[in-house]
Amino acid sequence: MSTADPQVPAPGDPLTEHPILEGRHSDRAYSESLLAFVHRPAGRTWWALMGLGLAGTAVLAVAVGVTLFVGVGTWGNNIPVAWAFGITNFVWWIGIGHAGTLISAILLLFQEKWRGSINRFAEAMTLFAVTCAGLFPLLHLGRPWKFYWLVPYPSSLRAWPQFRSPLTWDIAAVGTYLTVSLLFWFVGLIPDLATARDTAKTPRARFWYGLASLGWRGSARHWRQWRTGYLLLAGLATPLVVSVHTIVSFDFAVSQLPGWHTTVFPPYFVAGAVFSGFALVLTLLIPARKALGIEHVVTPLHLDNMAKVLMATGWMVAYGYIQEHFFAWFSGNPFEMHATEAEFFGPYAPLFWMQIFCNVLVPQLFWFSRLRTNVVVLWVAALLINVGMWTERFLIVVASLSMDFLPSSWAAYRPTWVDWSLLGGTVAFFGTAFLLFLKFVPAVSVSEMKELQREVDASLQFRREQGTRPGGAP
Amino acid sequence: MSRQWVLGEFSSSEALVVALKDLRARGFEQLDAHTPFPVEETFEALGLKRSWLPLLTLGAGLGGAAFAYVTQWFTNAVDYPLNVGGRPLHSVPTNLPIAFELAVLSAALTVFGALMLLFGFPHVTHPVFDVESFRSASVDSFWASVAVDSEDAPKVEAALHELGARQVSVVAEGAR
Repeated sequence: MSTADPQVPAPGDPLTEHPILEGRHSDRAYSESLLAFVHRPAGRTWWALMGLGLAGTAVLAVAVGVTLFVGVGTWGNNIPVAWAFGITNFVWWIGIGHAGTLISAILLLFQEKWRGSINRFAEAMTLFAVTCAGLFPLLHLGRPWKFYWLVPYPSSLRAWPQFRSPLTWDIAAVGTYLTVSLLFWFVGLIPDLATARDTAKTPRARFWYGLASLGWRGSARHWRQWRTGYLLLAGLATPLVVSVHTIVSFDFAVSQLPGWHTTVFPPYFVAGAVFSGFALVLTLLIPARKALGIEHVVTPLHLDNMAKVLMATGWMVAYGYIQEHFFAWFSGNPFEMHATEAEFFGPYAPLFWMQIFCNVLVPQLFWFSRLRTNVVVLWVAALLINVGMWTERFLIVVASLSMDFLPSSWAAYRPTWVDWSLLGGTVAFFGTAFLLFLKFVPAVSVSEMKELQREVDASLQFRREQGTRPGGAP
Repeated sequence: MSRQWVLGEFSSSEALVVALKDLRARGFEQLDAHTPFPVEETFEALGLKRSWLPLLTLGAGLGGAAFAYVTQWFTNAVDYPLNVGGRPLHSVPTNLPIAFELAVLSAALTVFGALMLLFGFPHVTHPVFDVESFRSASVDSFWASVAVDSEDAPKVEAALHELGARQVSVVAEGAR
């Protein structure tokens, strides 16, 4: 690097940008450093975490088994609270998945350069989160082995699904989302699997990566079509993200229940989804970038940007809260007004105020640039936001259901051990899948980093030729 | 008369682009470049045309949406009408979510399927993989490849050496 590098920020100066890549690395160095963790034998920490994850997944298996063999009666659900944990977890997990697609697809379309370092990561999260999410509506069917009745196949029953029910929309939305995310992820992955094949240390690894990369040889003809295809998939995934959580919010909004019966739900849910998703990306990215030794591509700039996104979406969520409660009051409808009053001062009030603290107050930390790049503050805040968003979903589902129109039909809700095991079990399963991903797949897009390095070089070259300094001083 | 691939390795994308243009000027057909990341200039040097993938995708998406809509209309309004509280049997708004989702699904599957067909994947036994040093094509080297009949191979080899290739190898079809 030259002596006067305009990319290096003056320490403590909030106005200089953090570099998008730390230092200058050759293509070979990128291939090696980004694949180092994949080619290394698994360490003790990885195995320890894996053991924990597998133990949790066993708990999940038990809970699913109990649900299948005994029935949904083992859950805490009752009438009127017929949805409870199942749908809460579903909405929460789906929401977490959305950040991955947002980072990958929407930022790709906006040509945001900083997405390259974290998109693979976030997309893998999407896949696993949607897998976890899909489990809940299935189990919640009561007779999960009949799930295919939701698909219009010419059956001997001579009956068709009821397409005016949001349940069938959910199947289409979640199924499509999982498939498209998988395709998008895999298409982006093929060139990197080829790099993994060509840098493999053992014949066995070479064989499997060779098989997985399908014979990618970096041909220019292929690259050209690959680029178009990747962009198309991004373009398809972008409206998909918005539509999926919109449909999830329709599950609630098409009904007449006080607390659900509002038009702000679709954007409110989408904003909440991105909010919680980004929080989980940060939760996982902060330890992983250290463990994988990829701090040169996931720089403070990325953390800074993600903190800004968190704050922005946090405000959108806050706007949703204001809207929801203001219009409940403004409607003059006694049932709607009661739903709001019950949230503020009723049995679920502690949860409500905790949610306000986690989702509205905590993101305000990110007004300060020092806190945006402080990994400890970021990590704790992200964790709190995850909790807060789960609480929000819980309140929307349970608080509204437990107190509807008739006081005679009100009932409280208590989760059982099966409910808790399903929630904790999916978290563990998610962690297990994520560990496997880190071990077997390049977690950062290698080819994109090489491209990005070229662009950074070109822009530095341009700046040097122009003789400008940051701040525009000649 | 067997087909052969002559592979030349270059150390930078700029050198590769110069070489490709030169090879085209000398009248060699069936050129290709192998790079670790997409290099815009190689597309131009090879004279690649615009991709027709977007149009295909649009068609697939519209087809998927139409299929979904017609399915919902037929099943719920024609073949098995269910009166749910007097709501309309053919309701446009409730049919739109699934129509949209299926449009996206068919378009995405089409993109993926078309890519696989265009690439001829899976194809893990391509002759170029016989050259061990070709493995750098996905790491940090830029390769030019020319597919020729076997009698023309020496000519291409000479040309590649002349253009400053670091190393040149020849692989034959059916080597495996």
